[in-house]
Amino acid sequence: MKVPIKIPEVLAPAGSLDKLKVAVLYGANAVYVGGQKFGLRTAAENFTQDELREGMSFAHERSAKVYVVLNSFLHDKDLAELPDFVRFLDEIGTDAVIVSDLGVVQAVREHSSIQIHISTQASALNIQSALLWKKAGASRIVLGREVSVKEAGKIRREADIEIEMFIHGSMCMAYSGHCVISNFTQGRDSNRGGCAHSCRFEYSLEGLDTQEKKKAYFMSSKDLEGLRILPAFIEEGIDSLKIEGRMKSHLYAGTMSKVYSEALKFYAGHGHFLSDDLLKWEEELGKVSHRAYTQASLVEKAGAESIFNERENSSEDEWQMVGPVIDASPKAGIVIEVRNAFNQGDELEILPFSGDVIKVFAHEIMDLTMKAVVRTRPSTLVRIPYVEGVQSMYLVRQRSKV
Amino acid sequence: MKLTTYAQNLYDLNVLKDQGYNEVILEAKSLSRFGKLSREDFILLSNRSKELGLRVLMEWDILMTEDVFGSKIKEVQELLPYADALRVQDTGALNWGITYSGKPLQFIAENGNHNLKALQGWVDLANGKMERIILSIELSKNTIEEYAKKLTVPCELLGLGRILLFYTPRPLLSALMPEKIAQNQELAATGESEESPHKGFPIVENQHGTFMFHIKEFCLVEFARDLEKSGLAFFRIDQRWEKPSRLVEISQLTKEFQSEAFEKLKHDYSQDLMRGFYLVNKTDILFPKLKNSRLQKREGHYVGEVLESEKGSHLAIMVKNPKGLKVTDILKILHPKGEVFETKIYSLKNVALEDVNEVPAGELAIIQFVGGVWVKSQVFYHHEIS
Repeated sequence: MKVPIKIPEVLAPAGSLDKLKVAVLYGANAVYVGGQKFGLRTAAENFTQDELREGMSFAHERSAKVYVVLNSFLHDKDLAELPDFVRFLDEIGTDAVIVSDLGVVQAVREHSSIQIHISTQASALNIQSALLWKKAGASRIVLGREVSVKEAGKIRREADIEIEMFIHGSMCMAYSGHCVISNFTQGRDSNRGGCAHSCRFEYSLEGLDTQEKKKAYFMSSKDLEGLRILPAFIEEGIDSLKIEGRMKSHLYAGTMSKVYSEALKFYAGHGHFLSDDLLKWEEELGKVSHRAYTQASLVEKAGAESIFNERENSSEDEWQMVGPVIDASPKAGIVIEVRNAFNQGDELEILPFSGDVIKVFAHEIMDLTMKAVVRTRPSTLVRIPYVEGVQSMYLVRQRSKV
Repeated sequence: MKLTTYAQNLYDLNVLKDQGYNEVILEAKSLSRFGKLSREDFILLSNRSKELGLRVLMEWDILMTEDVFGSKIKEVQELLPYADALRVQDTGALNWGITYSGKPLQFIAENGNHNLKALQGWVDLANGKMERIILSIELSKNTIEEYAKKLTVPCELLGLGRILLFYTPRPLLSALMPEKIAQNQELAATGESEESPHKGFPIVENQHGTFMFHIKEFCLVEFARDLEKSGLAFFRIDQRWEKPSRLVEISQLTKEFQSEAFEKLKHDYSQDLMRGFYLVNKTDILFPKLKNSRLQKREGHYVGEVLESEKGSHLAIMVKNPKGLKVTDILKILHPKGEVFETKIYSLKNVALEDVNEVPAGELAIIQFVGGVWVKSQVFYHHEIS
C-alpha cells in the first residue's frame, strides 16, 4: 500500500492584516503575526486586537492557521501585562503562540490553552534542548538556523515533537537571541524588538594578516533559500517550513507563499521535483528583493560563502512591485494602487493566487476619474483595462527601469 | 559574597588560593567558547585545584547543533568526574546535565531571562539539581536584588570582564584571509564601523565560531559591597584576556574597595570600563519612536485609509470597517503628521464611479476632496472618536 506523503505546512510572515490576506490567498497554510506588543518587530505595523480577530476569521475560513509571536525576552514589567493579551488570544481561537522566554511559556500555560511553539530566538539546536522545552510545555520547536535538515529530522524523531524550520529569508548571523550589539551600542534591546541591524554595517578590521585595515560587511549573512532542498525537508518529516519577513512587502509575502505552496503541491502530486517548474519557481524567487541566496546550514555548516560581503542596495533589484489590485471588474477595470510608477506601454506581470503569471501591456491607463494617463505616479490609483480572471488583491510587478 | 573566576594554568590556581577563592572555573578547549585547556591539562588543573581546596566548576558553554552535541558527549563524560559542578548555557546541555550528569548544575542565564518567572522556571525544571543561576548583565541593581532574594538558588553575576555582544558558529575572520589558514587556528582582530560611534570592537574567531565584544569591559567592582548586601552570592572576575597579575589587585579591591586604587585600576586597565545597565535599563524607551503612532490604527472607530488624494477632485478611501461608509457619515481624518480634519460625506461613489448611499468593507469609497489630507491619512468615524 502506498504511504501518503506528509507535506509540511508553508508558514508565511504577515506584518499587517493586508499581508495576512495576501499570504493566505497565495497559498500559505499558516501565517505568523504580531500584536502591538511582545514581538520582535517593534517597527512593523502589527495587528490591533480588532485586526487579530478579523485575521483569525479570514485565515480559519480558508483552513489556514494563525500563530501569534510573543517572542520577546520579556522583563518583569512586560510580563505583568501579558495575561490579558494571552486570554484574548485564546478567546479568538489563536492556533499557537511563538515564544522564546520560559517566563512567557509559563504565563501562556497559566492563562490559556493555546499551543506553544518555541521561537528560533531560544536557539534550540538539539534533541536534549527539544526534550527540555517539551517538558516545559511546548508542542513545537522552531529550530535555530544553524541546524541542518538531517539533524532536524533526528530531533523530530528522538524528541517526538513538531519541528519547524526556516526555509527562506533574511538571517541573523549570530545565534538568534545571542546578539546584544544594539542593546549595548544603541540602547535598543534587540531581544525586545529594537534590533538596529548592526550586523549589516561595513566594518574596518585591523589585526588580520595585512598591514592595512580591511573593510568588509563581515557579519552580514546572505539570505536563506531552500527550494531545492524541499525533498529533504519532506523526507525528514519536518512539520512546518517558515518564511522570514514580517517587515517585508506584500509582493514578498505573496510570492513566497505561492512559490513554496505550489512546489509542495507539485511534490504531493508527483512524488518528485523533476520539473521545469523548478526553474520557474526559482525565477519567481529571484523576482523579489533579496540579498544573494545561500542554503546556509540546511545541508552543510555555513562557511565563508554564506557571508554577504556587499552594501545593501535594493535599487539594483531587477523587479519591482507596481502595486496591489484594489478592484477588478469589467465595469471598473483593473484598479491598481500605484506603489512604483509605470508608463503607458509598459509590460506588467499580474501574479494570480495560483497558476501562471498574467502578462499585460498597459496600452491604456486612466486615473480614477477616467482621464487618460501617460505616466503614473506613486500613491495614486489608476485603471487599466479589465483582463478576465484578475481579482482584487492580486499583485502587479514589472521589470525595474534601472 | 564569594569570588569566582577562571584558571588557565597552574600559576592561576596558586593566585586563587592565595586570594582566598573557594572555587575555580575550568574550560576545556573543545567544550568552552574561550577554553584553552586540552583534556590532559583540564585533568591536571582539576587535580591541583582539589589539592588546593578549590571546588572545580566545569564550563560547557558552547551552543551545539545535534551533530556537534553528539560529538562532545564522550569528552564531557570523561572530564565530568574531575569536576564538582557543571556550568552550561545550551538548554540541551542543561537537560543532559539534569538527566545524566549526576553533578550539581549552574545555568548561565545571561542571554534574555530577564524575568523572575523564567529564572525560577529553569530552577524548577532541574528537579533539585540546580545549584546556581548566572544572571544577565543587562539587569539593573533593583532587579538583581529582587532575584537574589526570591530565587530558590544562589545567583552569580559578572563583576568584571568582557561583554560578549555577538556569537556565531560561522568563521567570519578567516573568510577574509587571502591564504587558507589552518582549521581551528585562533584569529583576533578589532573592528570599527562608520555607522557606529564605537571604535575597536575586539573580535575573536576560534574552533567554535566568531565572537565580538564591546569596546569597554563591564565593571561593577565599585558596587561589590552593595551587591553583597543585596544577597548576590557569587561575583565573577573574568580576566582571561588580561595580565594574570591583575587578578590580585581586582580581588583585593572587590573585598575591600578603595577609591584611589580603583581609579588606578581604571587608568591601567587595557580597556575602558562601563557599568552597563546596572543603574537603569531603558533599552525599550526608544521603541515608541520607531514608528509613526499616527499611522497606527485604533480599535472600533477606525474606518480605513486614504489611498488617493486628488486635489480639487476627491479622496479615495479603502473601507476596512465592517460597518462600511455611508452618505452623511461624519469623518475625522488623521494626517500622518498629526493634523486632524473633519468632513461630512456629501458625495459618495463606488469604484465604478456610481453614486451610492453606502460602500461596504473591502471596497473603495470615493468622497469629496478635503484640503490638506494626504495619502496614508487614517480615517475614523467622528461620533466614536473621543
